[in-house]
Amino acid sequence: MHPSPHRTAVVAVAALTLAAPAAAQHDGHAPPVRDSSVRVAPVVWYVGATPVLTHATPTAGGRKLTEGYVAHPVAMLHAATPRGALSLQAMLNAEGLTLRRGELATGVFGEGYVDRRHPHAYLHEIVLTGATRAAGVHLSASAGRGFAPFGSDDPLVRPFTKFPVNHHHAQLLERLVAIGAVRVGAFTGEVGTFNGDEPLGPGAEPRWRRFGDSWATRLTWRPARAIAGLGALEVSGSFAAVRSPEDPDRVIGLDQRKWHAGARIERPTRVGALYALAEWARTTELDEGRPVFEYRSVLGEAALCGRRLHAALRLERTDRHEATRLEDLFRIPVPHDDVSIIGMTRWFTATMRLGTAPWSAGMLRATPFVEGSIASPQDLIPRAAFQSHGFYGSRQLWLLSTGIRLGVGAPHARMGRYGAATAPAGSHAGTHGGC
Amino acid sequence: MHRPLRAPLLLSCFALAAVACGDDGPGDPGSRDENPCASVATGGGGLGIVGCGEIRDRYTAELFVRGSTAYTTTWGQRSAGTQLQRGNAIYVWDVAGDAPQLVDSVIVAAGATTLGDVAVSDDGRWLVVAAEPGPLSLLVYDLANPREPVEVGRWNGGSGGHTAEIATIDGRLHAFVAVNSAITARPRLAIVDLGTPSQPREIHSRPLPATIVHDTHYRDGLLFLNLWDEGLTIVDVGGGGLGGTPAAPVDIGRVATVGGNAHNAWWFHDPQTNAKKYVFVGEEQAGAVPVTSGGDVHVVDISNPAQPREVAFYSVPGAGTHNFSVDEARGVLYAAYYNGGVRAIDVRGDLGTCTPAQKAPDGRCDLAKMGRELAVGLDGTVGVPGFDPPYVWGVHFAGGHVYASDMVNGLWKLRAAQR
Repeated sequence: MHPSPHRTAVVAVAALTLAAPAAAQHDGHAPPVRDSSVRVAPVVWYVGATPVLTHATPTAGGRKLTEGYVAHPVAMLHAATPRGALSLQAMLNAEGLTLRRGELATGVFGEGYVDRRHPHAYLHEIVLTGATRAAGVHLSASAGRGFAPFGSDDPLVRPFTKFPVNHHHAQLLERLVAIGAVRVGAFTGEVGTFNGDEPLGPGAEPRWRRFGDSWATRLTWRPARAIAGLGALEVSGSFAAVRSPEDPDRVIGLDQRKWHAGARIERPTRVGALYALAEWARTTELDEGRPVFEYRSVLGEAALCGRRLHAALRLERTDRHEATRLEDLFRIPVPHDDVSIIGMTRWFTATMRLGTAPWSAGMLRATPFVEGSIASPQDLIPRAAFQSHGFYGSRQLWLLSTGIRLGVGAPHARMGRYGAATAPAGSHAGTHGGC
Repeated sequence: MHRPLRAPLLLSCFALAAVACGDDGPGDPGSRDENPCASVATGGGGLGIVGCGEIRDRYTAELFVRGSTAYTTTWGQRSAGTQLQRGNAIYVWDVAGDAPQLVDSVIVAAGATTLGDVAVSDDGRWLVVAAEPGPLSLLVYDLANPREPVEVGRWNGGSGGHTAEIATIDGRLHAFVAVNSAITARPRLAIVDLGTPSQPREIHSRPLPATIVHDTHYRDGLLFLNLWDEGLTIVDVGGGGLGGTPAAPVDIGRVATVGGNAHNAWWFHDPQTNAKKYVFVGEEQAGAVPVTSGGDVHVVDISNPAQPREVAFYSVPGAGTHNFSVDEARGVLYAAYYNGGVRAIDVRGDLGTCTPAQKAPDGRCDLAKMGRELAVGLDGTVGVPGFDPPYVWGVHFAGGHVYASDMVNGLWKLRAAQR
């Protein structure tokens, strides 16, 4: 018998309920680097959600749509023994209830959704980590359901509400993972194995028998002291070999080879905390070991979080495959019926976000925002069945959103690393790029 | 329910057939005001163009020809101007003349975005069509009037019928349906009794724990399953001597073809020699529709059906094969080759014996090096003046002509290859 993820979720919810609120404070300033593995780590929890109203014009099928949802309804928990020898990181996500049809996000794709972001798994993350240190070498071993050691932070903890197009090129998440990490000085190395299959739905179990069929590794460099002008710098490179992510039973699904390189900085400025990320990613799909399709992504984003206002900008160029859509034009068959694609598009997207500094009312923090983006897809395969202009009816695709990020407690500052691979405390400005 | 559209509504472009075509080059789908089919016929020998019936508002899929009537299905979605047209149409053609004439169409109003395989029963009475994405998987039409199909039955297989072959066994019509996988269901082969076409009845389900069945081929009591990377499996459903029936098939043998991705098959009966030695297996590799493709034709020797073995292959650089039709009297295999057009291959005689120079490193004979390629038509890399480059899904040899369903342009009538 395999443990039910629903049962595990119940246990995690109970833990969240019983945990004492001990919110960590993020002041947006980068203090001297400390060693997170020896600090006293209390139980830290967070519950939050982002009601959002989005207008897309046009989107799939040339339609103009206005929709409202509760995005990112999450509960997070981080608990650790006093010296951090054992720690638990968990996150529940209720988008399966609030975003069943997906969130309007023209250009975004994954897990059977296109031009809508798919709802994430109810049990987004639950990872237990054991860590130790000897002679300046930090070691950790992690296991559970969560992030493979690949790519950049989950967009959930970055400044924007709308996910970037490259989410499935630059992160590998909601997998059964076993990860070893070692940190020596400024360098961190991680190696992990996991199941290649993406979730088939918010409540779907992973294919347990596929655990270990995929692997990833990441090398990260964090200078011990802030570099002049760059603040806290983090540079990483990673690789992943993923078996049949879109066909859980590996019947005809294509395998993937993924590469990622990224640089991330955070530094205080006179007007507030500055966060920036630049990343490059490449995904190659293979059929019987032969490369058949390749997708690339370049993304840059930055946020400046002042005492009164927050501003963020994201520029992205990401390739996307196109598949035959179902009667619901925002969906494609999963698993696919065939190995061919009907086109490939390159998405040029610019997203801007403006928000206020959080308003506080007791434990509740509220951050109103507006977010707008313009996307322009370019067809990479002339004469392919999918031609973006015909499908969308325009070359400029707009999204305008407004909402309010609500939360109680302290969210995970970053997501995607565990144990010795986590950024030392103080080397980051906090969740959402410090905004 | 289906909604028949009368021919005049869809034949406006063909009314221009008497008007000489200008050299207007490729145009936007649905935007033509002239019919280039009127002047497209070419001279010459094998696989020269006799005529065409243009469809540019939907992607054309499979075809079937019986007598002077042809049926084509449609696939996916296609942008036609500002309209997005689904692959939910069956077109009915009069192919008696040089240029196929569209005479009727049937629209599956709900439940289908792709209609794949289409076939007419041996007695000409029933038209059977596969449907995706599910749950609707199979449609049955009464052909009391072959030019006006009337829907009489539907079968829901769960997640859509990717392909559906039909055969009359012991006097009853059966369909062999490749049912897609889904989040909650594994792919499977379903055998459906269509003895009462209005009430399709599933009589067998073969679960496929580690592969899919992409297509099937039935002949003389044997069923050939194309099980993708597991290759070709031969099954006794009444003619294999192992006691198999459609309701209780019995496996005979299996061979994994080189490259995997076993997609379709044809068991060749040579009337000159009475040989029933070879099965041709199509391999479909990944491509971008309707531009690129990949995959070879594989020749499997089933002299011992319990131990079939691959002995030869045919490959076209830069293109991949799809469905087959064979002119058995002349020993010519016609292979749809997507952007490679239509390939006519001489398949008479011993295909597994060749000179060292004609062999691949793995010992298989290369039919191209053996000089067995007879003719090429509709080659997408060459193109047809006035048309977008063809991308051929299916072929059907009938009445001395070769018919080709071109996803991009519609239905073509070609001259047969000369030996």
